[in-house]
Amino acid sequence: MTALIAKRLGAALIIVVALTAVMFLLQKLSPTDPVHAMLGPSASPAAILHEEHALGLDRPLPAQFLSYLNGLLHGQLGMSYRTRRPVSTDLGSFVPATAELSLYGLAFALILAVILAIGSTLRWPGATLFRVLLMAGAATPAFLLAIAGILLFYSKLGWLPATGRSDYANPPTGPTGLLTLDGLLHGEPAITFDAFKHLVLPALAVAVVPAVSIGRVLRSSLVAGMGSDYVRTARAKGLSEPAVVFRHVLRNCLTAALSMTGLQVGLMFSGVLVIEEVFAWPGVGEYMAQSIPAADFPAISGVTLLLGVGYVAVNTVVDILQAIADPRIQQS
Amino acid sequence: MAAAEPYTPSAAGAAPGSRARAGGRGRGRGLSIASASLLVIITLIAVFAPVLAPYSTIQPVGLPQLPPGSGGFLFGTDAIGRDVLSRVLIGWQSSWFAALAVIASGLVIGGIIGLVAGTLGGVADTILMRITDGFLALPAPVLAIAVVAALGPGFTHTLIAVGIVWWPFYARIVRGEIRTLRARPHVEAARLAGAGTLRIAMKHLLPGAIPAAVVTASLDVGNLVLTLAALSFLGLGQPQPAAELGADTARNLPYLLQEWWIPVIPGIAVMIMALASNVAGDGVRNLLGDR
Repeated sequence: MTALIAKRLGAALIIVVALTAVMFLLQKLSPTDPVHAMLGPSASPAAILHEEHALGLDRPLPAQFLSYLNGLLHGQLGMSYRTRRPVSTDLGSFVPATAELSLYGLAFALILAVILAIGSTLRWPGATLFRVLLMAGAATPAFLLAIAGILLFYSKLGWLPATGRSDYANPPTGPTGLLTLDGLLHGEPAITFDAFKHLVLPALAVAVVPAVSIGRVLRSSLVAGMGSDYVRTARAKGLSEPAVVFRHVLRNCLTAALSMTGLQVGLMFSGVLVIEEVFAWPGVGEYMAQSIPAADFPAISGVTLLLGVGYVAVNTVVDILQAIADPRIQQS
Repeated sequence: MAAAEPYTPSAAGAAPGSRARAGGRGRGRGLSIASASLLVIITLIAVFAPVLAPYSTIQPVGLPQLPPGSGGFLFGTDAIGRDVLSRVLIGWQSSWFAALAVIASGLVIGGIIGLVAGTLGGVADTILMRITDGFLALPAPVLAIAVVAALGPGFTHTLIAVGIVWWPFYARIVRGEIRTLRARPHVEAARLAGAGTLRIAMKHLLPGAIPAAVVTASLDVGNLVLTLAALSFLGLGQPQPAAELGADTARNLPYLLQEWWIPVIPGIAVMIMALASNVAGDGVRNLLGDR
């Protein structure tokens, strides 16, 4: 088990380094010259040379990459061309909102996936409806779902807010940055409830795409699992039906659903970027959306590195969880 | 990423439309052909979009913000009086051709890498598949955004960027098929008959891997439609005033609460395109896949 964890962590590290190399190369490919972007078009040649030297751009590429890596290790993501502040400082103020949205999105996705999988597998009149839902969900763009949600629950029914994270002018800023948690920690459940109301629509919009994919995988392995020999054996030796389902079938189905969950986190991140646009959610997607038209590559690469590292981390955890759920994986 | 719906014959029962697969003939087969032909219908609409579109997509042709059905505009007009139907049709064309272009590049790049890795085996296989796995281990849409940002926003750049991140899945599928085929008697016979590596790869291995790759592609195109629409929504597609489904939704969000049809109808068009391609993908899989 330790060997497996070490191997997975090593692989994750290699992929993260490869990702930083890709970002470094893209930066070099980018037509935007960092010196011009920082100093503006009317800078004197001497100032340009001085800035180039200060940024280390007159050194050979491998040396530049090493100092880039070194900077990353110390949390330096470069300076944003647009805000003129360190990207890491900028990100610090946007990450909590995205983290909260992603966490709720993932939680909603898992709950929805289980409901969709079981609802479409059981023999009951609603199964067809659930199968239709699975099919429609796989084809619905997240932004369409989001605006449909706004039209129904905000405009028509007035149940849920449509923009931002909170109605409070000065919500607590610490210690976790997650408003639903900070409200409780500060002893103000009203803030938590308000933040949750703001989260429902965006988190659901983020959740549907991964929920459908996870639900489909879970459904097919549930169907296959229930008909297998070990289920017949478990039933034959007198185990109760819940014991058969939860201790035998579900455990076997988890590995496939887990690996799909890991893969779906990547898709979910791109969903988060889109959904933040729709709901004016103050997260990294907003930051990215403002950085793209400004060709602010350091900012964009900062967001990409952040999401890429998050994705690799989630999948590494998933790999390890899989090995725990299914000991056969360790041997292969 | 492309892996949203991996092609695994054993998991085929997962898809709702797949009940028809019980028999590759009779009614099931007819249903599969009908589903698969949706691809043709989507393409025909795309090809003839300029003919079908009743008005210009760029010039205002009526009063602004007319609701659907009024003034002779089936889907109404947008904020400055352009015909929404015409814009949706032209947007349909660009979305569909973009998706096909990226799928084609994924098939070609992934196919070549999978073929080389699978045929040669050994060190070449290990290196190529490690690179492939590296790409698969990164979130493709996010990486695509970074590539576009580096190249500068623009439609061609978006296609290139998505093409760069969209091949690894195909490389894995093709390589897997090739490895299986390599052990088959007909390949062994060809080798004994003195056929060279290139001839074996092109004549005896590649044809056998094509069905799996085509099935994967047809199941994948719906995902790609959605991903490209999301990138367009984020402003990574064609610049104003070109008609594009994702961007037309994003730019018209301010009108959502009063003139809902302006942002909603392009989004519904994306959904219809993705739904039709998913159904068609199931049809193609039923016809070619389960062997």
